[in-house]
Amino acid sequence: MRGVGQGLNLFLMALEEQKHEMTASVPEVDFSHCREMRPYLEEPKAMYVGAPGKHGYLRMGFEIDPRGKCIMRDLERRVPLIVQQELYFDEAMPEMPCVYILSSGGPNIDGDRYQQDIYMKKDSFAWISTGAATKLAEMRYNYSGLVQNITLEDNAYLEFMPEPVYPCRHTRFISDTKIVVAPTATLFYSEIYMGGRKYYGDGELFEYDILSVCCHAERPDGEKLMREKFIIDPKRVSPRLLGVMGQFDVFANVVVLTPPDKAEEIYRKVEPFFDKENKIAVGITHLPNQAGLLFKVLGMEPSPVKAQVREFCSKVRMAIKGVPVPPEFPWR
Amino acid sequence: MPDMSAVMKLLQFTDSTFPVGTFSFSNGLETASFEHIVHDAQTLGEFAEAQALQAAFSDGVAALASYRAALNGNLDGILAADKALMDFKMNDEARQMLSRMGKKLAELAVRLFPESLAGAWLDKIVAGETPGSYPVAQGIAFAAAGISERDLFCSHQYGVVNMVLGAALRCVRVSHYDTQEILFRMSDRISGLYEEVAEMELDDMHAFFPILDILASLHEKGNMRMFMN
Repeated sequence: MRGVGQGLNLFLMALEEQKHEMTASVPEVDFSHCREMRPYLEEPKAMYVGAPGKHGYLRMGFEIDPRGKCIMRDLERRVPLIVQQELYFDEAMPEMPCVYILSSGGPNIDGDRYQQDIYMKKDSFAWISTGAATKLAEMRYNYSGLVQNITLEDNAYLEFMPEPVYPCRHTRFISDTKIVVAPTATLFYSEIYMGGRKYYGDGELFEYDILSVCCHAERPDGEKLMREKFIIDPKRVSPRLLGVMGQFDVFANVVVLTPPDKAEEIYRKVEPFFDKENKIAVGITHLPNQAGLLFKVLGMEPSPVKAQVREFCSKVRMAIKGVPVPPEFPWR
Repeated sequence: MPDMSAVMKLLQFTDSTFPVGTFSFSNGLETASFEHIVHDAQTLGEFAEAQALQAAFSDGVAALASYRAALNGNLDGILAADKALMDFKMNDEARQMLSRMGKKLAELAVRLFPESLAGAWLDKIVAGETPGSYPVAQGIAFAAAGISERDLFCSHQYGVVNMVLGAALRCVRVSHYDTQEILFRMSDRISGLYEEVAEMELDDMHAFFPILDILASLHEKGNMRMFMN
């Protein structure tokens, strides 16, 4: 009996240890220090902030294996974020691992917290997207927050091209993306934000409460490269103001961190335009500290904006890898 | 009773003929006019408002941080404000504009206020150790002149809008009456804007003006050169 008791104790201790490891390894995601979120800190009446299923974590690490193949070596995930395994479906780069990030929880809801850490080891390369658009549901008490840490070692290459984000009426969303990039590495990091669900009922464009999106990059030694932050608070500054979104409904932002010679090559190939007839506009400029390029698109519907982002990605890939991005799948 | 000497200096530093080169820049208005996005008093008013708001939550924050650091004799604080602002300025021509105007004001401030931190800051600019942005230079000069923080913010906002309106008289079909009415309306919201900006830290800087960004990009890659940006 004594042996059985000891075994049970050991089992319970191991369980406790595992539970501790599981909870300890999920970093806290907290934006309460951000002044723009101060009006939205009430505990949700349904599931509390940090409850299982509302606190997603994802860690993906890519590297070249001993056979010379680029693989996703590390994968850790917590619900509702799901990544199954890397696929190799890119026809122009069949050697490149491609990953879809999915969420079993559907839209981001009140009080959700997510963290995504992506690590690209020396010489590795990957393509990451989401399986579908990210919906930000209506919120009444709190907000939904996302922390991302993206690290690229020497000569690494990452295309991060998720599907658009749809902010519903009265949603509150904040994200902070920290990038650590080696001087020889290249990151293509895109985000597309819809004004809202345009065709839902009478439409709910720019009826959300707040979007706060920050992206900042630095070198491995801590040298700061750039910091872009936009806060869209439609009640404070109308997105319809000329100079903000004007008549446009969709906005894409692409940060490309790449060595200066590659940035120049890409910059020369992109022609900005403001097409009032077809209601689409594209702009490009150099990031501070010779860190790379910033590309922006405005449009009315997601498809033409996504097409511009993809075309730009193709120019980046051509400059870095010598091959274009294949045409988009017809079902995407 | 406001210090009359400070008021005189405020007028001097805010005047459009103050030699920092504001007349050379249009803040993207040249392209906006060419693309027929700004074409009358209404659209010019909106464009100027967007420019003022964009500057308030970035340049304005850096100007106040620099002003406060200068009052405390804190050169590191000035350098931090300079770095934070230029890392935040995504538009290449905007960075060039702020650097050119900043250096000119630093050179002038060294002569006007030889005892201030302007000299040490100018040395850092010349050595390539700091970008030398205009709002940060304004913070140093205004602190040295004994002008209040609120007046610095007014001068900064006035400068941004007046630059656009001055350019408008040369490239948009508007009259002096139109531009003065736009400028006059600014005073209605300046107080609320200051209260908001005064609480912001350098990390709080934010800007969402994608149309302005794209227009700046068109100018950067285009051939129009009546103005430097």
